[in-house]
Amino acid sequence: MATVEEPRAAEALFIRPDGKEKVTGLGRYTADLNLTGQAHAKLRYADHAHARITRVDVSKARALPGVLAVLTHEDVPDVKYGGMVQDRRLFAKDKVLWEGDVIAGVAALTAELAEQAVSLIDVEYERLEPVVDFAAAEGAPLVHEDWESDSGDDTMGRDGNRIGYSTIVKGDADAAMAEADVVVKGRYTTDCSQGVPIEPRAVIAEWHGDRVTVWSSTQVPYAARAGVATVLEIPESSVRIVVPLLGGGFGAKCDFHFEGHVAALARAARRPVKLVFSRREEFVAVDHRREGMVIELETGAKADGTIVAHRGRLVLDKGAYCGEGGFFAQMAAMHACGPYRMENIFVEASLNYSNTQPSSSIRAPTAPQTCWALEQQIDELAHALGLDPVELRRRTLIEEGAEGPTRQVFEKLGMKETLERAVEMIGYGRELPEDEAIGVACGWWPCFGAPSGAYVQLHSDGTGTIITGAQENGTGAVMAFPILVAEQLGMSPGDFSLLYQDTDAAPWDMGSCGSQTTFNSGRAAIAAAVEVREQLLDAAAAKLEVDREDVELVDGEARVKGAPETSVTIVDLVGEGGPFHGKGSGDVPEAPECDAEGCVGRLGMESFLAPQLITQAAHVKVDRETGVVRVLKVAAAHDSGVIVNPMGANGQVTGGVVMGIGQALTEGTQIDAEGRQRNPYLLDYKLTTAADAPEIEIAWVETPTANAGPKGSKGIGEPPCVATSGAIANAIRNVIGTPVRQLPMTPERVWTATREGNQ
Amino acid sequence: MSTFVQATTVAEAVGAMSGGARPVAGGTDLVVGARQGKAPLPESIVAIDRLDPLRGIELSGGRLRLGALVTHAEIVAHPGVLEGFTALADASAIVGSHATRVHGTIGGNVMNASPAMETGGPLLCFDASATLESVAGSRQLAVAELLAGPGETTARADELLTAIEVPALPGAGSCYARLEYRRQMEIAVVGATAVIVLDGGLVTDARIAITALAPTIRRVAEAEEALRGTDGGRAAAEAAAEAAAAASAPISDVRASADYRRAMAAVIARRAIEAAVARARGENVPVPASPALHGAV
Ligand SMILES: Cc1cc2nc3c(=O)[nH]c(=O)nc-3n(C[C@H](O)[C@H](O)[C@H](O)COP(=O)(O)OP(=O)(O)OC[C@H]3O[C@@H](n4cnc5c(N)ncnc54)[C@H](O)[C@@H]3O)c2cc1C
Repeated sequence: MATVEEPRAAEALFIRPDGKEKVTGLGRYTADLNLTGQAHAKLRYADHAHARITRVDVSKARALPGVLAVLTHEDVPDVKYGGMVQDRRLFAKDKVLWEGDVIAGVAALTAELAEQAVSLIDVEYERLEPVVDFAAAEGAPLVHEDWESDSGDDTMGRDGNRIGYSTIVKGDADAAMAEADVVVKGRYTTDCSQGVPIEPRAVIAEWHGDRVTVWSSTQVPYAARAGVATVLEIPESSVRIVVPLLGGGFGAKCDFHFEGHVAALARAARRPVKLVFSRREEFVAVDHRREGMVIELETGAKADGTIVAHRGRLVLDKGAYCGEGGFFAQMAAMHACGPYRMENIFVEASLNYSNTQPSSSIRAPTAPQTCWALEQQIDELAHALGLDPVELRRRTLIEEGAEGPTRQVFEKLGMKETLERAVEMIGYGRELPEDEAIGVACGWWPCFGAPSGAYVQLHSDGTGTIITGAQENGTGAVMAFPILVAEQLGMSPGDFSLLYQDTDAAPWDMGSCGSQTTFNSGRAAIAAAVEVREQLLDAAAAKLEVDREDVELVDGEARVKGAPETSVTIVDLVGEGGPFHGKGSGDVPEAPECDAEGCVGRLGMESFLAPQLITQAAHVKVDRETGVVRVLKVAAAHDSGVIVNPMGANGQVTGGVVMGIGQALTEGTQIDAEGRQRNPYLLDYKLTTAADAPEIEIAWVETPTANAGPKGSKGIGEPPCVATSGAIANAIRNVIGTPVRQLPMTPERVWTATREGNQ
Repeated sequence: MSTFVQATTVAEAVGAMSGGARPVAGGTDLVVGARQGKAPLPESIVAIDRLDPLRGIELSGGRLRLGALVTHAEIVAHPGVLEGFTALADASAIVGSHATRVHGTIGGNVMNASPAMETGGPLLCFDASATLESVAGSRQLAVAELLAGPGETTARADELLTAIEVPALPGAGSCYARLEYRRQMEIAVVGATAVIVLDGGLVTDARIAITALAPTIRRVAEAEEALRGTDGGRAAAEAAAEAAAAASAPISDVRASADYRRAMAAVIARRAIEAAVARARGENVPVPASPALHGAV
């Protein structure tokens, strides 16, 4: 429970309910919880990225004094689970498929004993050739030998190591390419990268009879609940997931992860069991990273810039398991087309299994890398045409009435306005020192319509509580619900407490993913408030003996429109009876129409609902001798519809740009030939530090949007990191005169490109 | 059974060490390394952070004495170090982040003996020596002889480093620079130190060391040779930097390829030399030199 307070700063709409406890250190995260009698869990991970398990001997671990439970696949139901393809078991059975595959779990009196027990587990393997080069996975040994028997989404186009295949087809790209005045081609590769939440994950499970409560640092409590129920073969009603404060997620804590392991250990140990990850595990063991990609693009245009043909071939690294990331091929294919008017398109994207960490949603999955490649190609096209890159974008970006890659006809949107605002803020075209330059990139991201539910109730003293299934991952989206609800009731945000992150309390919610919290859960909270509003109006009309239509709720009162002296306070109304409680979901906006007949692997990304539009411009300085790039300023202009909470929205852009700079310049997971991560620690997985953060100037292009969320809003969380690396790439190219076609654009890669460009 | 002793006297500390205890000063290498899984925490630990005789910076009689517990933050704040041993200030000023510099000590930095550690190059170039104490007595040896390999020193396990002494080099301009991928929390992928004495516009003494380019930080005689007698201008600096790069034995790892490291050795060494020459001429190059030299704003 948290209570909203009124802010002291004029520019803040409100103080977020979880703000004070986070700032003062009073906040309790999952790892801070300790239950009486709790035991500690450690997991035994695979010793090889790809191997057949020939023997697992846990006898020495079980015999160690202080060890309460040791579990392998033999001790839990033989269930395969997974978001879009059910290809994974809680504990590996026949084969291990990546270095983070879990073979066994231990619960012991102390974490040290658990660690010791884990090392006493003997595992024998027959080593298999690891599939590390995901782009060549199609002819390689099968990662999942029994893939055909795994159940999963049939539209994905699964075939051996290829788990997904999607195309975007519009017109005849081959014929149009042959007719183009100018054609540019490029091949771009990206390393996989990580979400790196500052809070390493933690899970605690405790059983009461045949019900289990799991405290978990998850972004998706309801998916975690479903996961526990599935793997332990118990009803969802027997599982309660509670999320204490969440210390960041960035997508890495989406999906069901370790709640099942810990629940199983707690049941076996007959005690509460706690698992807390080390930083290394947060890199190596989580089945959630940003996918590596190989992107080949070819674009043909007429002399005036009209894009007549666009071809693309993308391969994405799925890693060892599917999880919820099975839609990536189609999502990447859409981003390979981008927010441009293109007359003819053929883009195909393959999502391949490999023996490395699974890829799943990290903040705008597939978009930053694909946007980075496409935006470099658009700049190259401009150079080839002799046009200014901004001018080419002016001529080709989507606008109202334009057709998307699948002939979705766009309603009003602010794409071009974001371009103009970003260009203006960065001072495009001005004279700069010879080692500095500006680059511009555009991108987009859809809103996701999903069901959600909320309750609102008023208490006898005129305060209220909002009960929501939404998950707060730090963005402040849930924290803004009191604003939305209070507005409906003529009350103040500070009147409301929030009950959230408890699956026993609130209706199902998709969770903190897909930039959807305000869009869907906010809609539900408003719908619940509207029910209460109706109840209040009824009660007020009776009390004041007036027509219900004549009553309005303002400043904590129900009063007669035009005659404010005839009024009753909401406190008095609720004190006299009730009930005043509402529930709501609201109508889920439908996906816009499109013509995707010719496209395969359609998973719902073929049209973009209420698209969020992005232009970012980066001003960089390149040390040509070393290849070190410093970002001096980023101008970010976004159309996210109407901004509900400016301080929160600005925070999302600031954080997204800083994350985007890391992805652009320093953040890449390196994998060796054996499939092992070479830099699973923060010294050599280099995040952008506060000292590296540039000036960030933000503009909101608030465009009235069809099918928008509450108050005309769209999503905000993911788009800010979509265009950053593309803008930086184009700026670097403008200094060194040659593109850098590997992401991240590390100093060594920039230096290499500079030298090769000079030859 | 692990033990932990909080020593209040040097005698107590060396006593514990003779019984096998490992000293911990700021703990930023020892504890952080253990949590990162580099090496488990030693079974027996003696905390030395309350030993007053190991504290303080003194500059007198042409010698700088740095107690082993002197922190990087203290080094950077000391006017005498900034003035006469600027390269050392450059080095301490870029260790980790502010928090690291407040806790991390010069003694820990030296005894941890990382080939990438910051203060080693400046200490070698200034001919610093270390005072080691044990129950058997005390001895002094050059830092150059102390650093033996990655994570290795020639000190015995029971020897406590109590102080570092650095002879002054009047008129010297000096600089330590490293390649930095980001502005804070960096580790040297390539580092270089230059100490230059000018007389009548000519280089009379030149000392060059390379960092993170070999199993230990090392002086490069060929580079020093290339500078002596020259005007310390661009051509001389380049020749010396090339010599430094040629003397490096870089590896390829997650941080960089050997080729890139070798190429950067020449760039960073040249920049360090140029800054040292500028300082020897009395020109102002801000501390730390690294960000300024690499053109950051
Ligand atoms: C985030 C972070 C960033 C860092 N960045 C840098 C960097 O940029 N550059 C750099 O050089 N280092 C860096 N370091 C490493 C470290 O901070 C420094 O080496 C620091 O100077 C170590 O000092 P300490 O007192 O903390 O050492 P401790 O951890 O206390 O000790 C280190 C080692 O020296 C031994 N030891 C300590 N004092 C004595 C003594 N008086 N006599 C004998 N043995 C002793 C200890 O037993 C141990 O083996 C970083 C560390 C962290 C955590």
